[in-house]
Amino acid sequence: MKGPVTLPVRILWNAFFWTYERATWQYDVMVVAILAFVWLTPPDWLNDPMASGDGPLGYLADLLR
Amino acid sequence: MTFTGFIGTVCMFPLRAIIAACVALQIHPNILTFVGVLINVLAACALGNGRFITAGVIMIVANIFDFIDGKVARELNAETKFGGFWDSVIDRFSDIALFIGLIYLYSTLRRTDYVMVTALAMMFAIMTSYTRARAESLIAKCKVGFMERPERIVLFMIGAFTNRMAAVMWVIGVLSVFTVADRIIYTYRELRDTQPEAVA
Repeated sequence: MKGPVTLPVRILWNAFFWTYERATWQYDVMVVAILAFVWLTPPDWLNDPMASGDGPLGYLADLLR
Repeated sequence: MTFTGFIGTVCMFPLRAIIAACVALQIHPNILTFVGVLINVLAACALGNGRFITAGVIMIVANIFDFIDGKVARELNAETKFGGFWDSVIDRFSDIALFIGLIYLYSTLRRTDYVMVTALAMMFAIMTSYTRARAESLIAKCKVGFMERPERIVLFMIGAFTNRMAAVMWVIGVLSVFTVADRIIYTYRELRDTQPEAVA
C-alpha cells in the first residue's frame, strides 16, 4: 500500500489483502481473531440454526447493561 | 516458534508414522487421494444429518489422507503431473461435498438465510482455488490471501466440534471474498508490471 496512510488503515489493508506465510506472528494474530469471533460471538446474534444461547460475549453485554 | 507453528509441529508426529506406514505398504498416492474424498462424503452425510461431532471425527480421518498423499508421493518417488492434477480436482469435490452437506441440513431446517450464506461461502471457496489456478497459468505464483483449503478444513472441524458452524460459515464466506479479490488484484498488478501490452 503506497502513500501516507494511518496505522489502522494499514493494519486492515494487510489483514484483508493477505501476503503473509503460515507460522508467522501475523498469521497467529489472524487465527486468534478468527477463533475469538467463532467462539465468543453469541449464536443468537448470528441466528445460528444449530446452536443457541448468549455465549461469553452476550454474558458480558448483559453485565454491562 | 509461533503458536500455529507449534501446533503444526505437534500434529506432524503422528502423521509421520502414518506416512511411513503408507510408504512401507507402497500405497499409491492417487489411491490415498481418492479414499480421502470418499471419507469426506461420509463427513458430508454426517453434517447433513446434523451430527457435527461425528462429522468432525470423520473429517479428521479424511484429511489425514488428503494431507499425506503428496508426502507419500515424494517418499515413493511417485510424483507425477497427473497426480497433482488429480489431487486438485479431488480436493474440490471434497470441499463441495462438505458445503452440500451443510446446505442440505439448513434446507431441511427451512433456514433459507443459512442456505444462502453456505452457498455463497462455497462459491467463493471454489473461486479461491480457481483464481489461483487460472492466475498461475499467466504468472509464476499467486499464493496470496488468507483463506486457503487448510484454513477452511480446520475451520470446518472447529465448527463441527464446538457446534459453531454458523459463525464458521460467515468467516469462510467473508475471508474467501477477500482472498479472491486479493488474487485478482495481485494478478492484475503482476501482469501490468511484466506485460504492459494488451492481451486478448
